[in-house]
Amino acid sequence: MSTLGLLRTLFNPKIVTPNAIQLQSLNRSPFLVGLFFNHEQVRTMSRVKRRTTHPPYWHVLKNNQRQDEKISSDNLRFVREVIQDKYKNKSPIKGSDLDIEKKEWDPKTKRSGVIARNIGVQHMWEKDGKKVVCTVLHVLDNHVIRYVPPEEYAKSIIGAKVFRNRKPLGCLVVGAEAANPDRFTRQYCSLFNEVGLLPKKRLARFIVTPNAVLPPCTPLTAGHFVVGQAVDVYGKTIDYGFQGVVKRWGFKGGPASHGATKFHRRGGTIGTGRDKARVWPGQKMPGHMGSERRFCRGLKIVRINMKYNVIYVKGTVPGPTNSIVQIFDTVLPRRKFTEAPPHPTYFPPEDGTLPQEDIWDSSLHVFGSPSISV
Amino acid sequence: MLRRAVLQTFRQGLAQSFFKRNAVSLSETTVTHQPIETSNEADEKSVSKQKPGDESGNTVVVAPPEFRFMYPEFLPDPAMERRNRLKEKLERIDMLQRRSVVEIPEFYTGSVMAVTVADANSPNKFARFVGICIQRGGSGLRAWFILRNVVDKQGVEILYEMYCPLIQKIEVLRLERRLDESLLYLRDALPEYSTFPLDMEPERRLNNSVVPINPLKVKLRPRPWLERWERQNLQGVEDLNLPQRFYDKAEKVAKPWEKYDLMLQYRKTIPAEEQEKIFADVHSQLQQQEFKRKIRRQHSALNDSHMVRVGRDANPNQTRISGSIVPSCMLSSAGDMTFRLETYHY
Repeated sequence: MSTLGLLRTLFNPKIVTPNAIQLQSLNRSPFLVGLFFNHEQVRTMSRVKRRTTHPPYWHVLKNNQRQDEKISSDNLRFVREVIQDKYKNKSPIKGSDLDIEKKEWDPKTKRSGVIARNIGVQHMWEKDGKKVVCTVLHVLDNHVIRYVPPEEYAKSIIGAKVFRNRKPLGCLVVGAEAANPDRFTRQYCSLFNEVGLLPKKRLARFIVTPNAVLPPCTPLTAGHFVVGQAVDVYGKTIDYGFQGVVKRWGFKGGPASHGATKFHRRGGTIGTGRDKARVWPGQKMPGHMGSERRFCRGLKIVRINMKYNVIYVKGTVPGPTNSIVQIFDTVLPRRKFTEAPPHPTYFPPEDGTLPQEDIWDSSLHVFGSPSISV
Repeated sequence: MLRRAVLQTFRQGLAQSFFKRNAVSLSETTVTHQPIETSNEADEKSVSKQKPGDESGNTVVVAPPEFRFMYPEFLPDPAMERRNRLKEKLERIDMLQRRSVVEIPEFYTGSVMAVTVADANSPNKFARFVGICIQRGGSGLRAWFILRNVVDKQGVEILYEMYCPLIQKIEVLRLERRLDESLLYLRDALPEYSTFPLDMEPERRLNNSVVPINPLKVKLRPRPWLERWERQNLQGVEDLNLPQRFYDKAEKVAKPWEKYDLMLQYRKTIPAEEQEKIFADVHSQLQQQEFKRKIRRQHSALNDSHMVRVGRDANPNQTRISGSIVPSCMLSSAGDMTFRLETYHY
């Protein structure tokens, strides 16, 4: 072991093996930090590849690779008729059609989530006049594609990782944004054959407890959520491309003037000469920034528009405008449901009465109401 | 055929002010400038533009081209990456809802306005500020404008968000335009150009159809200034009397090719077809709101004339008024009435 390694074992309460990551147990008294610990290494995720340009290997080829086929207009019309015939008979499931027996909701239930598009940001005001930035999320035409029961899901690669030390849960595959089957490959369209729906552009998996299972072809709308609840939103952050050290890591760079030669936005030193005599893994350098999975937890829903299937969420979500996000009930323990939400999902009333079109949270000022007077 | 003619007139109106999104700068257009018409004229014009029917037999309503200048915040931000039609539609619905509660009048940079805002720290819980509009911007519910005034020899500027629910009332005391789009140079001008009395009365215009352009040329204080005004092609400022080197540097730094850059202008504006759609969408509701407000104003005028009759017969020192109680905020501010009355709240 090097000198520093020896010193570390002397000053640390527990013996450190060569390959272990030794952050948490370091003795951080100022004397020692100044004398010996002049470099902290960050090795947790430095070797893991964070993003790829190709999909996972178990995905089937999605988009049609054929070039422009020279097809006559008559045949084109025929193809369209065939597609319409194939998919026209499918009607969405009503609440009474649920063949799985209606299970009771309990606080440990995990409901399905929803695929939505982030369509922008709108400013709203609270009842005391305070401005609030709300993200507008448009719930697309979601349908449940299939359900994978817990035993089967635990055997899959991802399922095994997720449920390594806990009780396995089921997985609902939900699709959104129906599209013309022409643009997809046959293998991709075959994923939707069982259900009989038009193939969807986006697919997502949501972990659910067995009592919140939905049968295939169930539609999911904005009514799945309740105004005032907290949700987690998962999305891929804005892709900034290859960025320098100042924007990516917040380095200060160098002086803009006073004779600085070619040192305005550079990183500066990347290591010491003595200890370990190399660049440590995880050293912050320029590179690709953004386009990463991130969750925004505990965002409050302040308004739901049932007519346009739009949810207004207080705060901002990861990703640029017009990007796809996934919304599900929050995992934060203090903001979870205390009373039953629409379980397993929301179904419009069967007697034909329309639900209330625009539901506002009690803290928000409704635009049609009189001005606030303090 | 008729629809195409209507579209052409709409686009002509746009083409005349093609190089400026919000309003015309006299020096830049080659076509003779047409004065912008007010809502009264616009209403009549819009009625005339409703033709009996087109090929499909439906009535097609086209909003007058002046809407682009009267209600510029209905047009969304042109940046293509952040545009979404559904979100813009929902925002417009919210804007119209807010407008049904509070009258947000037509105004331009250079108009003198008074804004009443709910304020917890004020003695009467309402704060009223009078000032000249030096800049306006934002789109949708984020639309804002800045009012400037000089109070006790201290220049004060307040930025108001047009759709904030704390705003109780927006009155336009003097509706006019200036030679420039942005009057930020008033910060470096002599204070008399930014001073307006806080109890200013709304001015009534004799000619309602045209928004006048005030050709005032403002005198600036001696340098140093907040910005390099000589580089900004200001029309509403008197000769700056600077040494020649300033103008030489301004020429060096100038970008005269930008006025020929069609793509730049295209990216800064919303296309004509979309503007038509947006304003046609919004036009009927705005007309209805304007109509309701007119009726309300007429009723209040009738009420007040009724009260005058009572006052004349009774003891002039008596403060009691029989008849309907008209709260003072319902007194019209746009100059429809020829006299003001004191009303008393109960």
